This record gives sequence, C-alpha cells and structure tokens, in this order.
Amino acid sequence: MRNKKTLGNSLRAYFSKPANVITVIFLIVLLLTVVLPLSTLLIGSFKVNGNQEAIWIDQDGVEDGSWTFHHWIELLTSKEYNYASTKFWAPLGGSALMAALACVVAVLFGGVVAWFITRSDLPAKKFISTVFVFPYIMPSWSMAMFWENFFKNTEINAGMGILQSVTGICVPESMVYGLVPCAMSLGLHYAPFAYILIGGILRNMDANLEEAATVLKASRFKILYKVTLPIVLPALVSTVLLVFSSSISSFTVPFFLNKSSINSGNNFVSISVQMRNLINTGFTKGQGYVVAIVLMMFSIGILTLNNWFTGKRKSFTTVTGKSGQVSLVKLGKARKVIAVILVIIVAFFAIMPLASFAMESLLEVPGDWSSFTLRYWLSREVFEGSNKGDTIGILMSPTMWKAMGRSLLLSVLVSLVAGSFGILIGYAVARKRGSKAATLVSDLAFLPYLIPSMSFGAVYLALSYTKGFTWLDGSFILLLLVGSIKFMPFASRTGTSAMLQLSGEIEEAAIVIGVPWWKRMTRVLFPIQKSSFISGYLLPFISCMREMSLFVLLAASYTTLVTTVLQEYSRTGLNQASNAINLLIIIFVLVIQFAVNKLTGASIDKGVGG
Amino acid sequence: MPKIILEHVTKRFDKFVAVDDLNMVIEDREFITLLGPSGCGKTTTLRQIAGLETPTEGRITIGDTVVFDSEKNINISPAKRDIGFLFQNYALWPHMTVYQNISFGLENLKWPKDRIRQRVSEMLAMLKIEQFEKRYPSELSGGQQQRVAIARTLAPEPKVLFMDEPLSNLDAKLRLEMRTELKRLHAETDSTFVYVTHDQLEAMTLATRICLMKDGVLQQYDPPLEVYNNPANLFVADFVGNPTMNFLPGTARVLDETHAEVTVLGRSFLFESDAPLGKPEGEDVVLGVRPEFIRLGSGGMEGKVYAALPAGMETTVQMTMGDQLVTSVEFGSVDYKANSPMRFEFHGQGLILFDKKSGKKLGRGSATQR
Ligand SMILES: Nc1ncnc2c1ncn2[C@@H]1O[C@H](COP(=O)(O)OP(=O)(O)O)[C@@H](O)[C@H]1O
Ligand SMILES: [Mg+2]
Repeated sequence: MRNKKTLGNSLRAYFSKPANVITVIFLIVLLLTVVLPLSTLLIGSFKVNGNQEAIWIDQDGVEDGSWTFHHWIELLTSKEYNYASTKFWAPLGGSALMAALACVVAVLFGGVVAWFITRSDLPAKKFISTVFVFPYIMPSWSMAMFWENFFKNTEINAGMGILQSVTGICVPESMVYGLVPCAMSLGLHYAPFAYILIGGILRNMDANLEEAATVLKASRFKILYKVTLPIVLPALVSTVLLVFSSSISSFTVPFFLNKSSINSGNNFVSISVQMRNLINTGFTKGQGYVVAIVLMMFSIGILTLNNWFTGKRKSFTTVTGKSGQVSLVKLGKARKVIAVILVIIVAFFAIMPLASFAMESLLEVPGDWSSFTLRYWLSREVFEGSNKGDTIGILMSPTMWKAMGRSLLLSVLVSLVAGSFGILIGYAVARKRGSKAATLVSDLAFLPYLIPSMSFGAVYLALSYTKGFTWLDGSFILLLLVGSIKFMPFASRTGTSAMLQLSGEIEEAAIVIGVPWWKRMTRVLFPIQKSSFISGYLLPFISCMREMSLFVLLAASYTTLVTTVLQEYSRTGLNQASNAINLLIIIFVLVIQFAVNKLTGASIDKGVGG
Repeated sequence: MPKIILEHVTKRFDKFVAVDDLNMVIEDREFITLLGPSGCGKTTTLRQIAGLETPTEGRITIGDTVVFDSEKNINISPAKRDIGFLFQNYALWPHMTVYQNISFGLENLKWPKDRIRQRVSEMLAMLKIEQFEKRYPSELSGGQQQRVAIARTLAPEPKVLFMDEPLSNLDAKLRLEMRTELKRLHAETDSTFVYVTHDQLEAMTLATRICLMKDGVLQQYDPPLEVYNNPANLFVADFVGNPTMNFLPGTARVLDETHAEVTVLGRSFLFESDAPLGKPEGEDVVLGVRPEFIRLGSGGMEGKVYAALPAGMETTVQMTMGDQLVTSVEFGSVDYKANSPMRFEFHGQGLILFDKKSGKKLGRGSATQR
C-alpha cells in the first residue's frame, strides 16, 4: 500500500516537470514514427514480400509472408552471374568511393573558405559567405544538372554544353557522367554545409589559443596542425561523417548523372539507384530492404563513431570561451588576389547554375542560341505526361501551380511541426542533460537524418499499405508526417544548441516569480534565442521545398508536389521544362530565405552550427 | 637588458582611437601595471608590445631591437620578441594534457627531451600542480588552470612577461594568494613583468610602477606611492585609493609663488604648496583631501555624522557639512552615533589643489584655516 503511494507520488513529481513530460511524449512519438517503421523494414528483409517474390525465390515451403534468410544470402553472397558482386558489392564500393571523394571536396573547399572568412582579413567576406551557401540551398540535383549542362558536348551525343559553346572544348565522357562527376557535384553541394559546421567552430574558437602558441614560438604551420586542427577536428569529423552518410545514399545525383551508354565504362550504378531498382522490380523487394538496412547501418555506425569521437575526455567545451579580440591573420599582398579568386569561384558555383538553368530552359537545341524560345515557359500546348492538364509551358500549367501551392503549404506545415518539435526536444535535452531518456530522445530525433530519403519514403510507403493504415496512402497527411519526421533533425540540433547556450538560471529566474511554463517558453526563452530558433524553422522549410527523393514514392496524382512535377517533365524528356521548374524552385527558396533573414536575422548558416 | 621603449604608439580601430600617442619606458626587471577602467586601452597596449596587435603608428623597442616601427615598416613577429604572455582566460589548449601544454613551448625551442622533462617537472613543482600532470584542462578548477597557464608561460624563461588580468577569474581568497605568488615569482625570476589590471589595489600592491590610462591616454606613470600621494590630476586621484579622496569644490586666489588663499566648505584656508604652484585656468578649484588627512574631534569645522563604518583595524566616518559629504578614516575601532555633531580639521602636507576646469594638479601641501 505504502509502496504504491510513493510510486504514485514520485510519478506525479516526475511529471510535474515539463521537461520530463516532453521527454516521455517524444519518446513515444519517436518510437512510433521512427523505430516502428524501421522495424517493419528490418522484418521485411527477413520475410517473403508478395507472391512474385515467393515464385522468384522458388524454394520449398516458401510462400508470401514466410520467414527467410534468402534476401540476405542471395544479395551478399550469390556467385551466380556475379550476382552479389554486380548488384551489391560493386555499387556499394563505388558509392563509398564517391562519398569519400565528395567528403574531400566538401571539407577542403568548405574548410578553406571557412578559415578565410573567420580567421583572415579577407575583403568581401559578406558577399562570399552569403553567396557560398547558395549551392546548399538549391535542390541537391541542381549541381548535377549544372555539371551536365556545363560539360556535356556533342562528341558524346549529349547536346552542346556551356564549355563547348564557349571554348569548343569537348571533355571525355567520364568527366560528364559517372562516378567522378557525381562525387564532384555532391562535394560542391555539401561544401557550404562543411563551411557552416567548420566555420561555426572556428568562429567560436578562442583566438588566444592560437596566439598563445605564436608567443611560444610555434611556426604557422605547427600552429595549424597542433592547435587549430585538433580543436576543429570534432567539427571536421562530424562534417566528414555527415557528408559521407548523405552522399553514399544520395539518390538524385547518381540517378541524374547516370546517362552514359552501358559499355563506355563510365556507367556508374550507385547503391541507392540499385536499391530503387530492386524494390521496383517487385520480386526483389526484400533485397531492396537489405540494401536500405545496410545503408542505415553505415549511417548509424558513423553516428556512433561521431559520438564516441566528440565525447572523449579531452572535452572541447572550453573552446567556446569568449575572447575579447580576434586578431585576423594578415594576408598582406595576397589579400586582394585571394579575394578575387574566391569571389569568382563562389559566384561561379552559385550563379552559373542558375544561369545555366535559365539558358537551358530557353533553348530548343542546347547551346544553340538561334533556337531561342519561350515555349517551355509560356506555351499552352498540351503535354502528354501522366499528370492531366499539364501544358508544355510550365507557367501556364494549372497542375504545376497547384503542385507549387501544395509544396508551399506542405513546407510551411512541415517547418512549423518540425521546428516546434525541435525547440521542445532541445528544451528537454538541455534541461535533462545527461539523462538516459533525454539522450535517447536526442539520438532518435537525429536518426531520420541518417536514413536515406529514398528508404525513408519506402518505409512509409510500406506502412501505408499495411492494414489499418491504408487511409494514409497517397494522402497529404502522409507527406506531412514523413516530411516533419525527416527534417526534424535540423530543428532538434538547432533547438538543442540554442537551449544549451541559455543557462538554467534564466528560466529559474522566471520560475521563482511564478511564471507558468508556457509563458516561460514564449516570453523568455524564445525571444532570447529568436534568430536561432527561427533558423530551426527555416531549415526544414527549405529542405522540404526542394526535396524530391523522399516524396517521389509517396505523392499520389492528387497530391503532386512541385518536385514530382519536375521529375515527370524530366522523365518524359522535356529537359527545358524541368530546368525551368528547377530554376523556379531555387529562386523561390532563395527569396524566402532572404526575406526571413532580413526580417528576423535568422539564416541557415546559424542553423546547423550545433 | 630588456628595456622596453614605447614612442608615440597609437592604435586606431577605424576612427576610434584606442591608444593615443603613448610614450613610456619600462626598465629591466620592473613590475609595471597598466591600470585603468575597462575599455581604456590596457589590453590593446599590452598586445601591441607583445606583437599580437599592430599599432597604427609609433615605435616599440625591446632591449636592443626595434620590434615595431611604423615609419621604417618594421614589425617583428611575437615569436621573435622573446616574451611570455598570460591570457586573461588562460587559453589552455583543451586537447593537450597539462604536461603537453607546458612542454609545447619548449619543444618549439628544440630543447632535448630530458631537459624538457626536467623543466616541466620543475614548473609543476613550483606551482604545486604535480598531481595534475596527466589531466586535461577541462578537468581542472579555475585556480588550477591558472597555475598551468602560468607554468606554460614561464617554462621557456621569457625575459619579458605580459599578463592580462590573470587573476580576474579567481575568487577573492585565491586572488590574494596568487597575488603574493606573483610578487614572489617576480623576485625569483629576473624577468620584466607587465601586468594589466583594472583593480587599483592589485596595481598598488604589485607594481614597481603604475601606468594609469584613461580613454587611451596616459594619465600618470609613477611608482604606486607617488601615484597615491601625488596624483597628476583629478582622474588619477579619484581612481586610486580606497576610500576615495574627498573632492571639495571652491575658489582660489594666488598670493605668491607657493601660497594661495583657498575657500572651501564656506571657510577660508591658506594653502602652502611644497613646490611652485601651477597656473589655474580660472578661479574655480578643487581641494583634494585624502580621508587620512582629516582629523576628527577638534578643529574649526563642524559637520554631522552621516554614518560610521568600523572595519576593525580602522573606521571610515562619513559626515555631512552643508550639502558636502566628507569622508575620514580613523585608526582603531570607534563608533559614532548618526547625526551627532562632529568637529574636524585638515592636517598634514598631503593636500592637493586641482584646477577645476582642466583637472590638473596645481600644487601639493598643507591648508591652515584663517
Ligand atoms: N578589434 C577591435 N576592434 C574595434 N575596437 C576594439 C577592438 N579591440 C578593442 N577595441 C576597443 O578599444 C578600446 C580599448 O580596448 P581594450 O584595450 O580591450 O580595453 P581594456 O582597457 O579594457 O583592456 C575599447 O573601447 C574597445 O572597444
Ligand atoms: Mg582588457
């Protein structure tokens, strides 16, 4: 009896703290939205999924729904026609190589720019840092599209690209399609991400740490590799790991740059493209799930490694000590030269893609200015795609506009849900620092980041076919759910780091004068870290607006999004129209990002700083 | 050996002048404090001498070497100036152990391994931090971190040691202890110390000479007692000393080279200066009287006790006379009732006469009531 009473009391005491309530609620929500779908995926990889698959496996006693190790064994070990090698190991190896290359490009490019912006007296910093993040704001396939637009040439039967039309140079096919171009476009896309992470640490890093080494007669080089690098190493490692795990499972880029003829040797099937093929054939679904699980294990392993690495004894927490003066490294005579070079490079990768999309959308024959046309923007001709009512001119297509509106609505809702969840999670994690439950919530909330978009979509697709959930199939709610969960990691990271910067005393000062929790959140905590929190809303918005692979499997004909419309145009070969839509999306996202930045001071480079 | 000379050193951040035409000579083995309110340019000055900040104009010489000259375009890097620098926030490298933090500078000097080992042990023992050798900075308390920072700075035996408010992050007790340690350190090593602080007591107790600054301009550069007894202007007089000096506004009429008739507190005094009087810019003056130069219990002035603050060894007594508050310090513990009448007078040779308009000192001496 007494025991029961104390249990009741301690439960009541536990739930009287908002942080505990939030922790418990999110634990449940995340178990349902992240862990449950993932386990269906896991189970699916050990089961026969459908009759087609049962026939394909062709073993005694194997029927739809029975347990089997066949998917794993076949995909990982089968030597018949080199099956395991061509379907799994080669694509995996190729993708890993691509991801590693992308990391090198992103970290070198992003890191060097970050160093110049935060540590030197480079002129034109504002311009460089603003424009440098453009490629990250663009949809991830934009760089791939630009790469193709730039390098393609008539020698490889791909139409005239910018390089050829300007200089007449025709690069070999391996520079236009295949592994290296994929890696380059991914690297360029993620370089701003590296810049944001590394720059954040460099900016917070006490300049005195380097000066102390200078005074103790360490050479510049020695300071760099004995002091600066070790201190930014956690950020560097985080960047490498995140870029690696995003790149290895990237679908759109390899999908886009995989156009070369099979026999040219530049044919590069990435593991994610392979996964989609396996799932789509209908009789190897289980094997597709195996790939998804392997990719996720990669990511989870990477996350664990990352946590182990940043959680070590030589805690880097002291790094954030505020330093009064930051003395910038004098670049001397090189100052102007470096600035000019950087401005050109940065502007090239930020503005040229836009220009190339515009150009592509305006030319009937790529590279041929005499074929200038506004047809793909303004024509009312009917376009025979799968979406009824499409016209060739995208601005005239009611479907396009409806999809645009829907994308916008979806992105706004996703950003509201993900952003608010992120703040709440950040609050719980910061207040309950170190507790097991809070750590679990924070890890679970980050997990969706590491699940390849494509597999995440697939998981929810599977869920919407499951009994009891069929009402989700193709619905807007489903898109909202998937989007909110998938883009929550950004918001929860931002929320957590912003909350951690607020000392508990700030809230306690309000508690002692009896301000209720809700008011403390909205009137005290939120205003103080306003710009960080708003960044937590902005990131999911931008990511959702430009997302394709996540939604491509889920959007039904009555819930098309602007990116799925783009895909439809691209699939049917109307390259001009898909370029036009891409340009439209980018401009849209850029305008919104600038408007929010001007109005609230929030920006995406503040967001990821966690 | 290393004598430091600053000539016309000026530092501008855009239009804002942080340090304005600073001239000073720091002799070998001195313990100099740069003193002044927050934002007056102390850190900037220190960093300029150390080479971490580039002056806009001027010339800095350390020992026989010109380390900076804006006209000749000389700017020697901090690494070549043979200095040590103790940062306000210690700036310990978080990824290195205590041992590695201390040995880093010695490795840069290419010392042999066993000598490094020996020197580090010596430093660890001297600062009583042997047991922390293998720890990382985040595992140490503020005071311990500070000792590590000192050990790291001293290990290469720099000839000149710069310190930027090294004690400001410590609690009061530890601060007092470290102050003593620093003074001993100065006696034991034969380095020159340049020390930044905004705490006048710290400056008074540590320094051989104080360099007092305000808004980037040097106010006075003298030994502590000289600054205390013979402040160059109202700002210095006000900044140094606790409780602060009494500033009594009034008028003055110069009688001859060393005498003036001064009217303050509604009474007339004969001020006798021990040196020729400066020339006032007008009639208005301020008579500066340190609390210890006010004797209670007798004399021609009468005030009302406002508050008495006994602190054991001495008692601070505040009185009102008209609308002027007057502070005095009595030796021993005495208690006076609030609002009781109290006679008092000025005594001693240490009264200072300031020109009100310029704030400059006119003379120092005695004032007798007429
Ligand atoms: N890097 C800088 N850029 C602009 N102003 C600066 C910079 N460093 C210092 N200042 C300004 O110069 C003045 C003197 O600073 P400082 O030397 O740090 O003062 P303190 O006496 O408190 O150490 C301050 O007003 C400060 O704001
Ligand atoms: Mg300072």
